Amino acid sequence: MGMWSRIRKTLRGDRHSVEIQEELQFHLDMDTAGGHDQREARMRLGNVTRIQEETRTMGIIEWLDSALQDARYGLRTIAANKTFSLLAILSLALGIGANTAMYSFMDSLLMRSLPVSDPESLAVLNWGANPTGRDFVMRNMSGSTWREDKWLTAAGIFPFPAFELIRANSGAVFSSVFAYYPTRKVNVMVKGQAEQASGEFVSGDYFHGLQVSPAAGRLILPDDDRAGAAPIAVVSFAFSQRRFGDAASALGQSILINNVPFTVTGVAPPGFFGVDPAAAPEFYVPLHTNLVLPLRARATDPKVYLEQNSYWLEMMARLRPGVSLAQAQTALGPVFHQWVDSTAANDRERAVLPELLVHVGATGLNTLRRQYSKPLYVLLAMAGLILAIACANIANLLLARATARRREMAIRLSVGAGRFRVIRQLLTESALLASIGGGVGVAFAIWGIRFLTFLLANGREDFTLRPDLNWHVLGAAVALSLLTGLLFGLAPALQSTRVDVIPALKEARAGQPGSQRSFRRAGLSHVLVVTQIGMSLLMLVAAGLFVRTLSNLQSIQLGFNRENVLLFRMNARQAGHRDPEIHTFYGDLQSRFGTIPGVLGASASQSPLLGQGTWSDPVVPVGQQPKASTHILMTTPDFFQTMQIPLVLGRAFDDRDQPGSSLVAVVSEAYVRKYFPDRNPLGQHVTIRPGRPENRDVEIVGVARDVRYGALKGEFRDIAYLPFNQGSYVPVEEMTFALRTSGDPLRYVNTVRAIVSQADARVPVTDIKTQAAQIDQIMNQEIIFARLCTAFAILALLIACIGLYGTMSYTVARRTGEIGIRMALGAQRGVVVWMVLRQAFVLAIVGLAIGLSSALGLSRFVESFLFGVQPNSPAALVLAVAILLSAVLVASYVPARKASRIDPMTAVRHE
Amino acid sequence: MAKADNLQGALELLVMKILRRGPNHGFAVSSYIQQTSDEILRVEAGSLYPALHRMTEAGLLKAEWRISEAGRRARFYELTAKGRRKLETDEKRWRAVSGAVAKILRTA
Repeated sequence: MGMWSRIRKTLRGDRHSVEIQEELQFHLDMDTAGGHDQREARMRLGNVTRIQEETRTMGIIEWLDSALQDARYGLRTIAANKTFSLLAILSLALGIGANTAMYSFMDSLLMRSLPVSDPESLAVLNWGANPTGRDFVMRNMSGSTWREDKWLTAAGIFPFPAFELIRANSGAVFSSVFAYYPTRKVNVMVKGQAEQASGEFVSGDYFHGLQVSPAAGRLILPDDDRAGAAPIAVVSFAFSQRRFGDAASALGQSILINNVPFTVTGVAPPGFFGVDPAAAPEFYVPLHTNLVLPLRARATDPKVYLEQNSYWLEMMARLRPGVSLAQAQTALGPVFHQWVDSTAANDRERAVLPELLVHVGATGLNTLRRQYSKPLYVLLAMAGLILAIACANIANLLLARATARRREMAIRLSVGAGRFRVIRQLLTESALLASIGGGVGVAFAIWGIRFLTFLLANGREDFTLRPDLNWHVLGAAVALSLLTGLLFGLAPALQSTRVDVIPALKEARAGQPGSQRSFRRAGLSHVLVVTQIGMSLLMLVAAGLFVRTLSNLQSIQLGFNRENVLLFRMNARQAGHRDPEIHTFYGDLQSRFGTIPGVLGASASQSPLLGQGTWSDPVVPVGQQPKASTHILMTTPDFFQTMQIPLVLGRAFDDRDQPGSSLVAVVSEAYVRKYFPDRNPLGQHVTIRPGRPENRDVEIVGVARDVRYGALKGEFRDIAYLPFNQGSYVPVEEMTFALRTSGDPLRYVNTVRAIVSQADARVPVTDIKTQAAQIDQIMNQEIIFARLCTAFAILALLIACIGLYGTMSYTVARRTGEIGIRMALGAQRGVVVWMVLRQAFVLAIVGLAIGLSSALGLSRFVESFLFGVQPNSPAALVLAVAILLSAVLVASYVPARKASRIDPMTAVRHE
Repeated sequence: MAKADNLQGALELLVMKILRRGPNHGFAVSSYIQQTSDEILRVEAGSLYPALHRMTEAGLLKAEWRISEAGRRARFYELTAKGRRKLETDEKRWRAVSGAVAKILRTA
């Protein structure tokens, strides 16, 4: 088209299009007047602007316009097919939402870097060893260990001399080396108000090495970190806000940490959480202040700075520019080896020396990753399956619809619409569906993240993983939805435009089997349905296994009554109470709790029965050698009565057992089985920590029924209960109180707080929860898995059923003529129903076969998450198959019934 | 019959044939096709109007705004002399072709 004529056309265009508009409006009105519903008439008419536009030759400006028109037309098509669109958008949104939520968690867990400058150049120092016997240079370890690659034991803790060694010898590869270790929960008092908080002991280079600048004041410097320096503290930004109002007001203030005064000199920047995403220290104090700050009964012994076999200090370093982790490892490995070799006492220790490992430090410590990454991978895989099922569904729905729209396409092509234009129209529709699905999916994801955080944290206050929808996640979601749109839009679009115009037009309205291509298309949709059924079965099996695991855990015999018990902790020693007064303090509190109206019993123990580790040391009958450690629990007198643990022999602790009276113990049945299999244990004497200077001789006065202590699973452990006030074991520090209440235990929380604050306001009450909630927290992972998997499985089943329903309805519609003829020839309704059901069941059985074989292969990956149920438990498999078959029956019965209601006359007339 | 423009040709043929009975608007044309063919042929607006405009541009039809029987302004199409000649030749050709096709279908 020439320049001139294009201008003329553009000028004329306005009037022209107004006329077409009016003409089409007339058509629409006539159609409506003829009895057609207004909306339907509009749908029948199609896109007004599009028709207008097709009457003209396309110019460049119109090309952009037409894209917009495609979108508008697409929206209208979506609105016209409500059920289809709703199903498509919903399944897509659920798939994308689940994936985005899971991805957000993975992202915050695995990929996010520490919020410090140049995190890439940080390195974490660990060691790995393969100890065989008891001989090991790590004679004293305080910190966590784990398995890693080829190492049976790996850890990040070192003796202080090793830190000095690395610092002195790493100048060529590291620009700085710094050390730290956690204070764990301590009592922090600001302006007379006490709370439990955790902090970090850090070496003088810590903040310099991390390259962090203060939000206010100054951070800890090397000169602060020496014995005898004035005790200073740096507090976290959140702590300064909460306790002082703002960062600047915190400066120069005095805070009491376990009753030791520290001066706040600086505030860490907002968002800084130290080096472990699993912990969020509220304060940082110089390493050497551990000489004055008592964590347990006493402050750290200065000897620990010289001991070469005590492992307690963690280390990180900053690489010099251009130095790789491997180079650092090569440079320092031999240095460490030589040193650690010199700390070995004999050849057995020398044979299993630890080896230095230099790891990536950008993402901080791996505590959370080790804890959560496997469950998250399993859940991510499930969310991925959901998306796959949803995509298969949409492909199926679009495929069916494309076949139904063949005539429309044929007419479009026949009136000269460009093939590209038709494809673009179909793609626009798919992309629209995908983006609406994606948009709704993001909303689902936001909700899902909250839900997951809630599930994973399960009431724990110190849960630090707080993922949010960041840009990566959003990008991933958008990419996911667009890719899905293109994938499931393109195939049907290409097929639609490849119709042979004449046969397609000649096809009667409902269509008939016709060409080979429609068979192939039916084949594709069958493949999709089979896949969906297979994947749904996988999810059902997983859900069955996790639900069984949970119910097995919940039905474990605890040995005590979990209902109506309130638990809370306090640590009077950290607030300044000392022996022997601390015993009366706790004892008085116990009596006062016991007098609260509605409280049936009150007691305390040095740790809760469940939810924490256990204390253990050898406790053996006098003269015997220890077989293994016995689990020890120090309690107040009414413990057995309050927890409702029956005594099978002898007596519980009572007023006779005082400080200075003869030392006594109650042991569990498991202990009796182990050490007194054929003797009456009452009156026998046992030794705690035999062979050590602090050993104690105690007399067994009672035997208690077995209970779960420290772990839910496995055999009942052997337990020795000791009165908390007899000094027969370690000094009393933290105590966990238990109140047996009538009615909801949480009703008594305020009364408890009031009593404690009246007794001593410096002692904060923490970890208040019911015994039942505490046990639920232990089963957290199992509960999450059971709930999420069940939800995922139901979702998958639902989506797959929608797919099956759609496919079967489409098949029935396509076979209307054939079915009509069969019925005209005398086929009974039951036969027709069976004919359709049989087809559905053939698909289902192929899907089941595939699903079962993958379930058998894959279920071992979740074996470590199971309890009391085999990965290929026949019960779980049978149940899953039964549920799936019933769902298939329901989904295909409706189309089957519809088929049996086909009126032969109408059907045949279609031909 | 060089190209596979059979169908396009068919629609135009039908439109010309119907308009030979006298000027009429698009809606009447589409209703007529639908009714006379016992609902077997359904012309969608998306095909009809582009065809009407294309034929007008080609000089086969003449369009003008008139008042319809319902008393509303409607765009009426009328067959031109050129259109009549085209209708004659096209109809002849269509009959020949479809007769041939029918014959083959009967005998082969």
